[in-house]
Amino acid sequence: MEYNISRGLSVQAVVEYERMVLFGVHTCDLAGIQCLNMVFSRRPKDYNYLIRKNKIDIIGLECNDYCDEFASCNLVNANMPSGGYDLFFTDMGDYFIVHINTQVGDQIIDSTKLFERADRSHLRELVTLREHKRTLFRNEVSVEPREIPELFDKTFESEVWKRLDEKCLACGNCTNVCPTCYCFDVIDEVNLELKGGRKYRKWDSCQLEPFARVAGGENFRKERAARQRHRYYRKFRYPVPIYSRFFCTGCGRCSRTCMAGIRLKDTLNALVEEGITKVWKKWL
Amino acid sequence: MKKPKVAFFDFACCEGCQLQIANFGEALFDILGMIDVVEFREVMSEKWNGQLDIAFVEGSITDFHAEERIRQIRERAAILIAYGSCAAIGGVNGMKNTFDLEEIRKYVYGPEYHFFATEKTKAIPQVVKTDYVITGCPVYPPEILVVIKAALQGTSCSPPDYPVCVECKLNENVCMYDRGVACLGPVTRAGCNSWCINNGNICYGCRGMISNPNERGAREVLEKHNIPLPFVVNKMNLYNKCRE
Ligand code: SF4
Ligand code: SF4
Ligand code: SF4
Ligand code: SF4
Ligand code: SF4
Repeated sequence: MEYNISRGLSVQAVVEYERMVLFGVHTCDLAGIQCLNMVFSRRPKDYNYLIRKNKIDIIGLECNDYCDEFASCNLVNANMPSGGYDLFFTDMGDYFIVHINTQVGDQIIDSTKLFERADRSHLRELVTLREHKRTLFRNEVSVEPREIPELFDKTFESEVWKRLDEKCLACGNCTNVCPTCYCFDVIDEVNLELKGGRKYRKWDSCQLEPFARVAGGENFRKERAARQRHRYYRKFRYPVPIYSRFFCTGCGRCSRTCMAGIRLKDTLNALVEEGITKVWKKWL
Repeated sequence: MKKPKVAFFDFACCEGCQLQIANFGEALFDILGMIDVVEFREVMSEKWNGQLDIAFVEGSITDFHAEERIRQIRERAAILIAYGSCAAIGGVNGMKNTFDLEEIRKYVYGPEYHFFATEKTKAIPQVVKTDYVITGCPVYPPEILVVIKAALQGTSCSPPDYPVCVECKLNENVCMYDRGVACLGPVTRAGCNSWCINNGNICYGCRGMISNPNERGAREVLEKHNIPLPFVVNKMNLYNKCRE
């Protein structure tokens, strides 16, 4: 937003967008974009996001195997395509199978003239590939996804969070790379004449010391343990009743980037070890 | 609006932070259009003894005379800004506090050392009330602008209380630890936009420690990379010896 007070107050909303194509988006990140779409479509709607999103076309790419040991996409059911793209490519070795999901996708296919219609044998090969994938991708954490919300309820005071308090450097890297983290701060930048300026958004992170500090100096999440716990709850507990899904896509980036060696799979496994016997639904 | 009267003063320091003003380039003219600089030893010979709207104070307090002088400046100035790490956190001058005062005095001044009074190094906020701090060795020019604007508007403004790593990752740098090099980013206050790492260097910790560093966690990272602790503690002491 830009404002000027030279002659009365004038305020102008600014939307920054450009037309672009995201190419080769894996299923975990397609899930991430779907999460953000849900968040920013809730009232009050975020028009900056929605306008920008409308100018972006997405071409997905299937993972035939795990990217590395940090991924946990099977746990959150993000290793198979489930929408969120215009076109979706699957590498079949000698050729690609492309799923057309939208009119935009259709137009791309038409105008490039590079594609031919798949026949039954191709589709059979795709089914075989997916079946093989089911043997490669196994639940990375020893818990049933439906038990996770209750597991979190039962482990709020867990020792696991205390261990994270000792390790975590509060650098915010895990949230900066997470496809479903969207927290921002609003910066008011006045120009040198003090007559106008702009307000803009800047990435923020719940892992940072000042994030939950409020007027008067009180800090609602002073302990790193509370901040780490908050991050995990924001992925596996809080979104579940609101959006009916986890907000972790299993992409593994938070684990890959953390210099303190905090690994999402290890954290979940530690919670399971400590708290799964308290989970009631397990026996249903 | 009448232009605010601004003066620059220096205590124990290298005056490098004052030079940063001269390094501003074109923005310098915009700044000079807004303020009336009445005393600035680095670039002009005039002096001013009256009341000041803003005093920029560079350097740390290391003896009795300095302490008296900073109190006088404080009395004359409506707003006092501790300018640069020496002023804001004690900076490199704090290294003096590692030694016994008598011994270090002898070492520096020789046999006639008793003519030269000295005290433990103090940062400006440890001596007088300070309205704004701009930390950094030298200060990061964009931050000067932010603080000047806040001072002119009378709004609050303090350096970020999170580590340099935050800005470093947003700048998409490869972490120094991944290259096997020790970096003080994880315990150092951000606000410089990870200036040094963007330019291929490590963070030396020049902006001082964050308020709540995770010392145990940092030690674990060093162990993982086989970096000896004293090596890093020495680096930390370069800028953090005035920390109480
Ligand atoms: S990346 Fe690691 S050290 Fe940094 S805030 Fe996240 S968990 Fe903590
Ligand atoms: S929590 Fe970690 S694994 Fe899950 S989506 Fe975020 S970055 Fe990826
Ligand atoms: S986490 Fe890795 S394997 Fe799983 S969908 Fe994403 S890129 Fe593919
Ligand atoms: S290079 Fe230094 S500042 Fe950057 S992320 Fe690594 S430790 Fe932090
Ligand atoms: S990266 Fe570190 S040493 Fe360099 S300016 Fe920033 S705080 Fe100072």
